[in-house]
Amino acid sequence: MTKDNASRIEPTETLDTSGMLCPLPVYKAGLALKGLKQGDVLRIICTDPGSLADIPAFAHQRGDVLLKVDDQGTTQTFLIEKGSGS
Amino acid sequence: MTAITHPASPSRSDYAARRFEDIRDLLPDVNNPTPLVRVRNSLGVDNVYLKLEWMNPFGSIKDRAAAYLVQGMVDRGDLEGRELVEASSGNTAIALAAMGAINDTKVTITIPDGVPEETKTILRMLGAEVWETPDELCPVDHPKDGAIALARSLAASENGTRYVMADQYENPDNVRAHFETTGPEIWNQTDGQISAFFAGFGTCGTLTGTGRYLKQQNPDIRVIAIEPQAGHRLPGLKSFAEANEPGNLDRSVIDDVVMVDDDDAYAMTLRLHRRDGLMVGLSTGAIAHAIDQYDGLGDGLIVGVSPDASTKYTSYFIERLGNEGQPS
Repeated sequence: MTKDNASRIEPTETLDTSGMLCPLPVYKAGLALKGLKQGDVLRIICTDPGSLADIPAFAHQRGDVLLKVDDQGTTQTFLIEKGSGS
Repeated sequence: MTAITHPASPSRSDYAARRFEDIRDLLPDVNNPTPLVRVRNSLGVDNVYLKLEWMNPFGSIKDRAAAYLVQGMVDRGDLEGRELVEASSGNTAIALAAMGAINDTKVTITIPDGVPEETKTILRMLGAEVWETPDELCPVDHPKDGAIALARSLAASENGTRYVMADQYENPDNVRAHFETTGPEIWNQTDGQISAFFAGFGTCGTLTGTGRYLKQQNPDIRVIAIEPQAGHRLPGLKSFAEANEPGNLDRSVIDDVVMVDDDDAYAMTLRLHRRDGLMVGLSTGAIAHAIDQYDGLGDGLIVGVSPDASTKYTSYFIERLGNEGQPS
């Protein structure tokens, strides 16, 4: 999968962390990814601007692939493909 | 084996005084102090006493802080319609979970990963929700305090309507608990003859509250803090090389800091078991090792805190004991 066709990806699961402040979305994302298989895609919806730094760093730290970041100001949406090492 | 000498038999009224209507009536204060017991065999000197905080109803020194923290939250109305969340490596969590169970208050604990299974199981038995949290949870801003950060984010999320955090690291009720109970108890139990007080860095409520009280009675009393090495495996203790210093730490009451490594703490914990029958936890081992190594304490009474018992750490010792104590 490449980042170019990320917009056409159907996520395996969606995690809505609206109203949650970091690092709570990171923690919830870790739990959600634990239940997915390698190659599955998790969509994470956040409302804490801190997630713009935290979620990409979290994905990199775990060895997952950050496919997409969509910052709409009050809402941030991320697509993460689960890697092999997590 | 030497004979056991018992104190004078209690009167009938003493027996009645040991009957309680609520487990919380066993919480310590100046009229119900935890025992101060001499360490007779394990150390090179005979003027050292340990304050056995594991005789508290929920099993540790954190019963004191938890009682004050809960009372403060009740007085402020913080718990009305909300759940309690706290970051704790075990003892505060257990005390809060027990009090939450009594009050029908839901308790969520964010707990650092690596905490022994015994602690997590006890918490779940008490009905608490346990969120195991990696220290490096925050990938960007990451002091080694992931559990504290997570508890704070839970308390702040949903506009603060769902959770309230006890915040033992910053809440002055923690310090006040020790200023009003632990300090006066030790002062009374030693008839003011205490010359040095040893306790570990953690939330720092014990060090700051007890140390402040004792120094108010006698400024010459030395207050010694014990700090573990970075990367330690001594639950309840904090290394400030890797964790933020809590707001409850008042360094002006501390005369000296002793670094203790894991091997020495584990060895002393076993020695206290095997030579004195003191079934203490690892933080007590660290504190007793520091007392044993410390020069120039003089002839006054030395008091070390024994925060908890070994029962929650048996899995750690299974690894260290190997085949020891088993028939070959």
